[in-house]
Amino acid sequence: MLQVKNISKAFPGVQALDDVSIDFQGGELHGLLGENGAGKSTLVKIICGVYKQDKGQLFYNKKPLEVESVKDASSKGINMVMQELQVLNISSVAENIMIDKFDKFSKGGFINWRRIHKEAQQFLDFVELDVPPTALVGYLSPVQKKMVQIARALSSQSKILLLDEPTSSITDKEADILFGILNKLKEQGIVLIFVTHKLEEVFKYCEKASVLRDGKLIGTKPISELKQKEVIRMMIGREEKIESYSNENVNRSKKVLEVRNLSRENKVHDVSLDLYEGEVLGIYGLIGSGRTEFARLLIGEDKKDSGEVILNGKKIEIKSLSEAIYKYKMGYVTENRKEEGLFLMDNVRRNVNVVVWPEISGNLLKLIKNKAERDNVKKMIKELDIRVTNSEQIVGNLSGGNQQKVSIAKWLIAECEILIFDEPTIGIDVGAKKYIHKLIYNLANDYNKSIILISSDLPEVVTISNRIIVFNNKKVIGEVEEVPKIEDSYDQVSHQIGEFYLKKV
Amino acid sequence: MNKRATALITNPNFGLGLAAIILFVILSVATGTFFTATNLFSIARTMSLYVFVGLTQAVVLVVGDMNLSAGAIGGLATVSAGYLMDAMGFPGYVAVIAALAVGILCGLINGIISARFEINAFVVTLATSFVFTGINYGFTRGVAFTDIPATVRVMARGAVFGIPYLFLFMFAVLVILYVFYNQNVLGRRLMAIGQNVEAARFSGINSKNLKVFSHTLSGFMASLAGVLYISRMGSAQPATGQDWLIISFAVAIIGGTALSGGVITPLGIFIGAAVLVMIKNGLVILRTNVYWEQAFLGLLILFAVGIDAFRTYMNRRRLVS
Repeated sequence: MLQVKNISKAFPGVQALDDVSIDFQGGELHGLLGENGAGKSTLVKIICGVYKQDKGQLFYNKKPLEVESVKDASSKGINMVMQELQVLNISSVAENIMIDKFDKFSKGGFINWRRIHKEAQQFLDFVELDVPPTALVGYLSPVQKKMVQIARALSSQSKILLLDEPTSSITDKEADILFGILNKLKEQGIVLIFVTHKLEEVFKYCEKASVLRDGKLIGTKPISELKQKEVIRMMIGREEKIESYSNENVNRSKKVLEVRNLSRENKVHDVSLDLYEGEVLGIYGLIGSGRTEFARLLIGEDKKDSGEVILNGKKIEIKSLSEAIYKYKMGYVTENRKEEGLFLMDNVRRNVNVVVWPEISGNLLKLIKNKAERDNVKKMIKELDIRVTNSEQIVGNLSGGNQQKVSIAKWLIAECEILIFDEPTIGIDVGAKKYIHKLIYNLANDYNKSIILISSDLPEVVTISNRIIVFNNKKVIGEVEEVPKIEDSYDQVSHQIGEFYLKKV
Repeated sequence: MNKRATALITNPNFGLGLAAIILFVILSVATGTFFTATNLFSIARTMSLYVFVGLTQAVVLVVGDMNLSAGAIGGLATVSAGYLMDAMGFPGYVAVIAALAVGILCGLINGIISARFEINAFVVTLATSFVFTGINYGFTRGVAFTDIPATVRVMARGAVFGIPYLFLFMFAVLVILYVFYNQNVLGRRLMAIGQNVEAARFSGINSKNLKVFSHTLSGFMASLAGVLYISRMGSAQPATGQDWLIISFAVAIIGGTALSGGVITPLGIFIGAAVLVMIKNGLVILRTNVYWEQAFLGLLILFAVGIDAFRTYMNRRRLVS
């Protein structure tokens, strides 16, 4: 029914989709699998008109299909249910379902609410949502909100329904209800495309699956012909050679940080781990697996429900970010560089020094010493090879890679002993990515820093980590105790990690 | 062109300073009464007061907030000092200290409600402005305190070598603020949270406490301005501060304080106050109907906000490319 043919799409610095062709059949639930950044979301966004492909063509019933915008897609029966719960909380259920059709139900500027409620009721009946059309959406549960989103998509006579991670905000039991509704839609012959990284759901509910990796289609097969193991290998296996840096500096006799049973409801479940001096500990997991949430608990940004943190053998309670930084010397390089990491309108000098201002100022009037500030920034520009014309350059004007160096430099100047990197190469082009990898490795190997590297990019984790902990569904599901520093270490490690996922299933 | 000249021209204060000089020259040449010792003396005093009024707004704008109650705080501080001197017979310095304490307290209340409880500062200070004004009028019934000791009166009236004390004092405060925002740890942190409150938090800066501090500083500036108005007028008028809302925004914004936070330039505020006073003074000399003045002020603010929006737009465009 729906065919995508030779679709390619590039964003600055990355080829998001590379010559992808898939056939989607009506009456089938077709799973689209892949790691973060594999290209799944880009593909569905092209189908529903958010992006326009650079190359390739869509076909519906063998006829070329042109989608100009989301609105155009909707009028052609293509609808997307977003990952986030995109509903209007302070509006009624009926308003949410019928929002784009008010003009059909109004006369002379007055809306006929009775007809709207009646119409909405039909879709509510279909998705088996037992709430009155007049109920406020804000009071519904997450799964009910999801149903409202699906009802809205159905109300515009969907022929193609795209679901982007529909189960990410609901429980397993609620997911069963959701898939029950999807089964009813199959009977109507609708094309259902289901984007996910939850393997178990694909095997339980889908008829077919396609796996994407690094923007390429790895394969499309009926579920009956697939094994979980094979799918995992398709998702994370890689043919190209992955470099792996060996780090001789790890001091296994000195535990810098111990985390015991750290938990926070619905975010992180019972996580324990150790960090040794001079090592890079990789935390691998996809978005939503609890890794960033774990980091935020660790640095005191969020409050933990239970568990302990032991720093250099002493139990500590980190109450705030500023305590983590100033008292315990922990630096967090955030994944949202532009929003949380940098002062984009300010210069490199101030960005690099912002954390150490209290330390480089006089005792009485707390005036910051210009010379100390200039010395610091000069040193960092040299050591991290930050490409700037001078230290007064505005950070917002630098490239992504150089911005990331500035946000790392901040923690080096602050002499943090523990550095937490959250997706350090997100939005950075390939050349700079390699440099950042080398840099993180050097920080552990030469500067003796202890590093936690959070990433959903498995090659990256394998390249720089000494040890890898795997997160899934808010828990630790396994540990690669030593990343072998040999030619085919990537194959070994990805195989081992695949086993963790299988065991869990 | 050499580096120094380029830096001078691209400095945001350059255009404003040039406008001020042109205005000064035009007024001096076109009218006989502008460039006279008495008029310049008067202008210097008024602009000094305007600088303090502008600072009440600038010190909160810099962290991304605003204070609509600055005038109300000024009025309340004014009558507090007036009451202590006139009705209670306290010496000037006690009354001044008490007035400043009132301003600090009012600012602290604004800061705690808006920052600690995370309620929009616009609404909070709008509400407290009515509370403070209400207390002022409930207490005084609109009657001024007129028995002000000479020690207080001399502050805004005396001069040395023909330069008003008030002007020198204002200049000193601006220099202190310049050093504070550029060199002091606290001042730099205030600028940082105005630029990006999330990045500041992730750099270990407690933005809530600093916002409370900014509101307190704003309250302090308002009470200081109130005290100086007493000195200038020779009496403590309950109506003090009624026209500050527009003046405070005009001076701060014309002076280059970013509405979105993160930028404050004492030199700009100085020039901003000068421009504003010269325009008002010019209108008087040209014998324009005094009722037109508000329209001019409003247009001037729109103009200044337009420039601010343009500057933000240019910065964004520079960042994207």
